[in-house]
Amino acid sequence: MMSQRATLHRQPDSQEGISIAGVTHGFGNGAVLEDVSLSVNRGETLAVIGPSGTGKTTLLRLLSLFERPDEGTVAIDDDDVWERSERDRLAVRRQLGMVFQSPNLFDGSVRANVSYGLRIRRDWGDRVSAWLSILLGDETEPQVERALDQVGLAEHADRDAGSLSGGEAQRVAFARALAYDPDFLFLDEPTSDLDPRNTAVIEDAIDAAREDGLGVVIATHDMHQAERIADRVAVLLNGEVIELGPAQRVFEDPRDRRAQKFIDGELVY
Amino acid sequence: MSAIEPTILSLLGAFPFDRVYVESIIYVSLYVSLTAIVLSTLASIPIALGVGFTDFPGKGFVIAVINTGMGFPSVVVGLLVLFLVSNQGPLGPLELVFTKEAMIMSQFVLAFPVITGVTLAAVTSVEDGVRDAAYAMGGTRLDVALVTIKEARYGIATGILAGLGRAISEVGSVLIVGGNIASADGTAITRTLTTAIQLEARQGRFDTALILGAILVTIVLSINAIVLRLGGGRI
Repeated sequence: MMSQRATLHRQPDSQEGISIAGVTHGFGNGAVLEDVSLSVNRGETLAVIGPSGTGKTTLLRLLSLFERPDEGTVAIDDDDVWERSERDRLAVRRQLGMVFQSPNLFDGSVRANVSYGLRIRRDWGDRVSAWLSILLGDETEPQVERALDQVGLAEHADRDAGSLSGGEAQRVAFARALAYDPDFLFLDEPTSDLDPRNTAVIEDAIDAAREDGLGVVIATHDMHQAERIADRVAVLLNGEVIELGPAQRVFEDPRDRRAQKFIDGELVY
Repeated sequence: MSAIEPTILSLLGAFPFDRVYVESIIYVSLYVSLTAIVLSTLASIPIALGVGFTDFPGKGFVIAVINTGMGFPSVVVGLLVLFLVSNQGPLGPLELVFTKEAMIMSQFVLAFPVITGVTLAAVTSVEDGVRDAAYAMGGTRLDVALVTIKEARYGIATGILAGLGRAISEVGSVLIVGGNIASADGTAITRTLTTAIQLEARQGRFDTALILGAILVTIVLSINAIVLRLGGGRI
């Protein structure tokens, strides 16, 4: 059922995706984001770069429907998500995945963590069966195996999540978001605390996800990473998108003077 | 010293009273306290989650009331429940005075703030990121609440044990609303281990009181040990 849904949404020629338009959002002390508009298609990686505290996390939380924007719209395939019922919005949320800066793993095994997204999509009877299977150690969900394989942890399914290193935990968090086959993946500085080896594993997994048809938005302050993995780049400064375009063009010939300074390392926050 | 000798002998195995009597007291104690704890837990967890993760006017006051309730004098609780169930009280028609049900009510009132308070502390200590992760994967409010409960389970179990300790070791309120009644054939009706200990001590049967006390402590220790074992030693 899941793969059928995913297939329906992933027509190769589809130009539709997730977008925010005219979004202004804040938390009481003024706007964190000011009139932001951008979009990402399926099969594309968009990197959002900018100094710390410039609104990258807020942008991802709006895209992943944690919060309703104060102004503007969040739409999937041109359909305003916040105009839908809560039930419909849940169905939309289940097309999305997010990886945070911290792994935020649940107490339990790696397998239990990675299968969580699959389990909550089932009815309660199936959930109890799946939970018992995990307890008995005989659960063999192919999606879980595949997701773990994608981050190089297929042999670690039965380990306790608490015993993982920071890098391994973040890779499990990535596998957890991939396992239920979302259409869009939002990554909030997923490698900022990782060593080069784990960073490379995650970046390879991001590339594989994009090739598999997922739309990926990654917030990062690592411009080299953005250059390596992104098709397009948005530069966010003080809550405004000051530059948006193909990665190569943005890094080699930014149109905005502030973006140029940020890319040149002259704009330090 | 001579007064102590019989006590030691009793503790060594010369049971000084009817076994059926003791078993019935144990049954009443466990029935009343465990029922009260189950009901308190069922009420406490959703309330702790609601208070912990919802912003509303007067939230600080509600938390203060819960914390105050953790140390509320049990005799006052007994008096309030007695007022509720007495003939003139709002629950008078139910004829609950001097029944196990009235004792369950009083122990519920005593245990509820303890379980709620400790559960509240446990669930609010679960990292926001863990709840965010559950939500981000498409979790409903119920899914997020269940993840929170699972993550806080050791703290919640501690709260339940603390509530059980408060309920099963309490004398004042169950004495007031239960009446410490035993039937003519020597079986307990509303007599619990604590009220029986109080009665035996008052009548000078210290050896009996001590043995009942030992049984009470053993029960509490056993329940703690079982929960500790189930929790993998993390409580």
